[in-house]
Amino acid sequence: MPSAGLVFQSVLLGLLLGGLYALLAAGLTLYFGIMRVVMIAHSAFLILAAYLAWWAHRETGVDPLLTLVVTVPLFFLAGVALQRLLLSRLSPVTLTMMSVLLTFAIALVIEGLLGYAFSGTQRRIRLGYSSTSLELFGARIAVVKLIGFALAALSLLGLYLLLKHSRFGQALRATIQHREAARLLGIDTDRVAGYGFGLGLATAAVGGTALSLDSTIYPSLHWHWIGPLMAIIVVGGLGSVPGAAIAAMTLGMMQSLLQIELAATWAQTIFYLALFGTLAFRPQGFFGGRLAQRF
Amino acid sequence: MSEPRAASPYLLELDGIEAGYGRAALVLRGLSVRVPPATIVCLVGPNGAGKSTVLKVASGLLAPRAGRVLVDGRDVTGHGPQQLLSVGVAHVLQGHSVFREMTVAENVLLGGYTLRDKAAVARRAEVVREIFPVVAERWTSLAGLLSGGQQKQVEFARSLMVEPRVVLLDEPSMGLDPKATGTVFAQVERMRAAGTAVLLVEQNARRALQTADIGCVLDLGRVHIEGPARELLADPQLGELYLGGRPAEPSGRPAGPGDRPADASGRPAEPPPASKA
Repeated sequence: MPSAGLVFQSVLLGLLLGGLYALLAAGLTLYFGIMRVVMIAHSAFLILAAYLAWWAHRETGVDPLLTLVVTVPLFFLAGVALQRLLLSRLSPVTLTMMSVLLTFAIALVIEGLLGYAFSGTQRRIRLGYSSTSLELFGARIAVVKLIGFALAALSLLGLYLLLKHSRFGQALRATIQHREAARLLGIDTDRVAGYGFGLGLATAAVGGTALSLDSTIYPSLHWHWIGPLMAIIVVGGLGSVPGAAIAAMTLGMMQSLLQIELAATWAQTIFYLALFGTLAFRPQGFFGGRLAQRF
Repeated sequence: MSEPRAASPYLLELDGIEAGYGRAALVLRGLSVRVPPATIVCLVGPNGAGKSTVLKVASGLLAPRAGRVLVDGRDVTGHGPQQLLSVGVAHVLQGHSVFREMTVAENVLLGGYTLRDKAAVARRAEVVREIFPVVAERWTSLAGLLSGGQQKQVEFARSLMVEPRVVLLDEPSMGLDPKATGTVFAQVERMRAAGTAVLLVEQNARRALQTADIGCVLDLGRVHIEGPARELLADPQLGELYLGGRPAEPSGRPAGPGDRPADASGRPAEPPPASKA
């Protein structure tokens, strides 16, 4: 039996990882809510942002956190462009299927470009505070993990407030829930959908920076992320941001606990087990469904 | 902005509209409808006659391929919903179109999305809360939790936030019980009393014509008969063909509400010149 201290440490690490999952899953679920597209390239953009942070740090020595100032607006614009120039041109009838193929291709292009520019070598940022850790009720937690979690949590809170209380957020939620009715109220639903996509991709920029702080990155790393993220949004109920957040924290914690006894690869299977279980017994997800407060 | 024209007696005019979806055949083939101010005009006709399409063209959701849309005699053909809303055309869709997972308050306030003045939005919200007591009672509930009839009232309230001059109502009584249907029609009459014109599409044609001032019978994408609603209601042949529910005449086969007459007994074989009321 693992010691209580080890379990506690794993729970904490799981929650910290879950925060990052939650932010990224929120982005994925936004895409799906807005136009029923499955965005395979989401995690490729995550790795791209991590590479940009690593590259900026290597070239200029700047703290990776500062790259957010550039990557967040950049990814927002890329998301708007992606939606307006590519996805909105797909035929509505086959949109979900075709969006899988299109974004799969985008993921491959990003992976290829990263390999071309930076080679397949594993990269890692070394910072002055990289190996600092805090003692928390007997558990040792790396400071970079705390920073990553704080970044994810703050962004998620910002996203929540924006969706819930801003004029744009109201328009976006209305567009997600009934597009035609939203148009009839004078909402420019095409523009709103584009901005919504930009917001989704901005979560990948924040997530990538957080990831770059404490992870070894390589171009094909995104394949390890997209599966768990897809599982999270299905378990949480497609289109539900709070559902995705709760599922992300729960599954992240379970993954971390399983890692005590199992190898990391096996621990990840928890996501797929949860996915199969959800699809078999509760396809609408655990927190979605008709009356969930979606965004 | 508004060019001075010979003031049109009509608030909303659709003139010779041809419209359809994608590459499919035309749904509307030269349809003309006129809505005077503070009047209820009702479109009746079989399924597939194009009733909902008329409203989509009038609110700018669907651009016509030919013909003109006029508001106050001003040509607004091809304008989108945002622009048509700004000249006073509001549209309440068929079925349920509340934002289910937002509160009633959020729904209603979104009705004033195009009004930049927050005080004006608050004032209008007070007005519609008075007109629709249910809206005031359920103000903080999620709209998706309300009954069908209550959701319809939220949709009405939402559309009235901008003080529209004409409201397009697509099957407002669909799926409602008789009591809720009664409430809906009473509210349509109140809209007229308040000076708002209504262009109404109803499957429940008899009930609608009892409320309406003018009736238009649509078939195959055209207005076939137009006249005072009471006269249409009194016409026995029309009743059999379009209003449903009458037992079949000895000579004819029974005609259901969704039936299209196969012969020319109910309508001229040639498209009639849109009969003026």
